[in-house]
Amino acid sequence: MTDVYAVGVGMTRFGKYPDRDAFDLGAEAALAAIKDADIDPRMIDGAYFGHVYQGMNAGQRVTGHIGISGIPVTNVENVCSSGATAVREAQIAIRAGEHDVVLAVGLEHLSSKFRGALAPEEGDVEGAVGLTMPGVYAMRARRYLADFGLTHAQLGMVAVKNKANAAMNPFAQYQKTVTLEEVLASRPIAEPLNLLECSPVSDGAAAVILMTGDKARQLGKGRAIRLAASALRSGKVESEPSSMTFEPLTRDTANAAYEVAGIGPEDVDFAEVHDCFSIAEALRVEGLGLFEQGTYLLAVERGEAQIGGRLPINPSGGLLGKGHPLGATGAAQVVEVVRQLRGEAGQRQIDSPRVGVAHCRGGKAAGVEGAACTVQVLVR
Amino acid sequence: MTTTSAEMSQAGMPFVPGVLEVGPDGKGHLVGAHCPGCGASYFPARSVCSRCLRGDLERVPLGSSGTLYTYTVIHQSLPQFETPYILGYVDLDDNVRVAGQLVDVEADAVELGMRLTLQVEPLASQTLASQPLQSGEVGEGKQVLWFRFRPEAAASGPPVPPTGKPPTGKEQP
Ligand SMILES: [Zn+2]
Repeated sequence: MTDVYAVGVGMTRFGKYPDRDAFDLGAEAALAAIKDADIDPRMIDGAYFGHVYQGMNAGQRVTGHIGISGIPVTNVENVCSSGATAVREAQIAIRAGEHDVVLAVGLEHLSSKFRGALAPEEGDVEGAVGLTMPGVYAMRARRYLADFGLTHAQLGMVAVKNKANAAMNPFAQYQKTVTLEEVLASRPIAEPLNLLECSPVSDGAAAVILMTGDKARQLGKGRAIRLAASALRSGKVESEPSSMTFEPLTRDTANAAYEVAGIGPEDVDFAEVHDCFSIAEALRVEGLGLFEQGTYLLAVERGEAQIGGRLPINPSGGLLGKGHPLGATGAAQVVEVVRQLRGEAGQRQIDSPRVGVAHCRGGKAAGVEGAACTVQVLVR
Repeated sequence: MTTTSAEMSQAGMPFVPGVLEVGPDGKGHLVGAHCPGCGASYFPARSVCSRCLRGDLERVPLGSSGTLYTYTVIHQSLPQFETPYILGYVDLDDNVRVAGQLVDVEADAVELGMRLTLQVEPLASQTLASQPLQSGEVGEGKQVLWFRFRPEAAASGPPVPPTGKPPTGKEQP
């Protein structure tokens, strides 16, 4: 099978940009990735764009900005995994022999579309009774803490850790540490989750240039990082009530990715995971098989998941610290994993990692575990 | 909750099409799907069983009793919902999990595992003011119906307007 390498990455700082649009942000990220790859942009022979709320032909509106119009452009929507799905589609096209050099971009201008809590899918019965996305995760948190005998303070440490990482990330929306006291004193959004345990409304974009291994070697791309696997699964319809404190969807997606990459969870040196809420990080890493079920918060307490710990989780600051412009998030995770594996993560650099994982998931409708989940494995 | 005789004379309309129905006796229930092959139950109703792939699922009325799996108190929501409110996932005795609001109980008295009863009731206009619920039909004299959960002992209330003919087995949710 054709090897696929990430040779260039770039992103905007995540934040709120009232006087810019998603296409402008997408162009900034794409140009940064092209510059980082140090390639002639005319080599790019295909482009994939992921977003949720940016309307028709968002990708063409970006390529039109940056001088690479005319190439095949594909727009994908897969809720919070949209950007990650764009990366996955790009690598499929390369492995299939359709393209040699592909641009994958995630972009979103969420602040112009939403304030406050997102609802589950429009028209879904759960949204219509008043369930919000924070509400879904708050209920999972309530049950998780009860089932495993843990406290809200232990959960809040996830936010403290991720905001501390974000404080070292120049691309993060929030670059300020918070204390556990501040997390626990922030206003309640959906009990037990407080404001500082919820990812913010964000705008931003992130981009990755992928190419075949042959091309990367031919061009002498010594900083190239191999995209060893990129798996996607959709959530199953539940035929009976099941535990909400474990994620079969994350487990199944991860197992598919690990198999293609020829690794197991024990080989993973660090991970970027979809911490849309504090509890989500525990559910993700336990689903990924990186920590035993019910043990993650204890590992966070012991410092195992921080930079310098046994298995750093969300060194970028995650969604809680870096921000969460829906469609951009999955691509930005790949940007961080590549920077870490290259040793270019600055103050937040993990000590010589070899294998990094990016996990993204999103979407929720009545009777379904989740809509879309991606797991990507990158290897130095 | 008081229901006037004028409201009772109106026809009822589910807040989401097909998810609930009310018989001529004024008693309402959710509508799920049951698989005659493997016994799986679904809410909302589906066309094909995802466990055994049988396509002849029966649309069935779901019972109203269940157990609270988990809950939250929502303080920030969409503009049409007045906060705070208690929202829970309730495992009905029919083996389906349903999200719904909990009323007639204080937040600090809610406990995981408590028994709850689902009640179909008129949607108070201020509760869901701007929900795009085919408002034309509402204007034609239909009353929007939804459901909430109450602690088992507290559950009682007046009958609600019938939704008209029950859905057939072929109807899409
Ligand atoms: Zn079946």
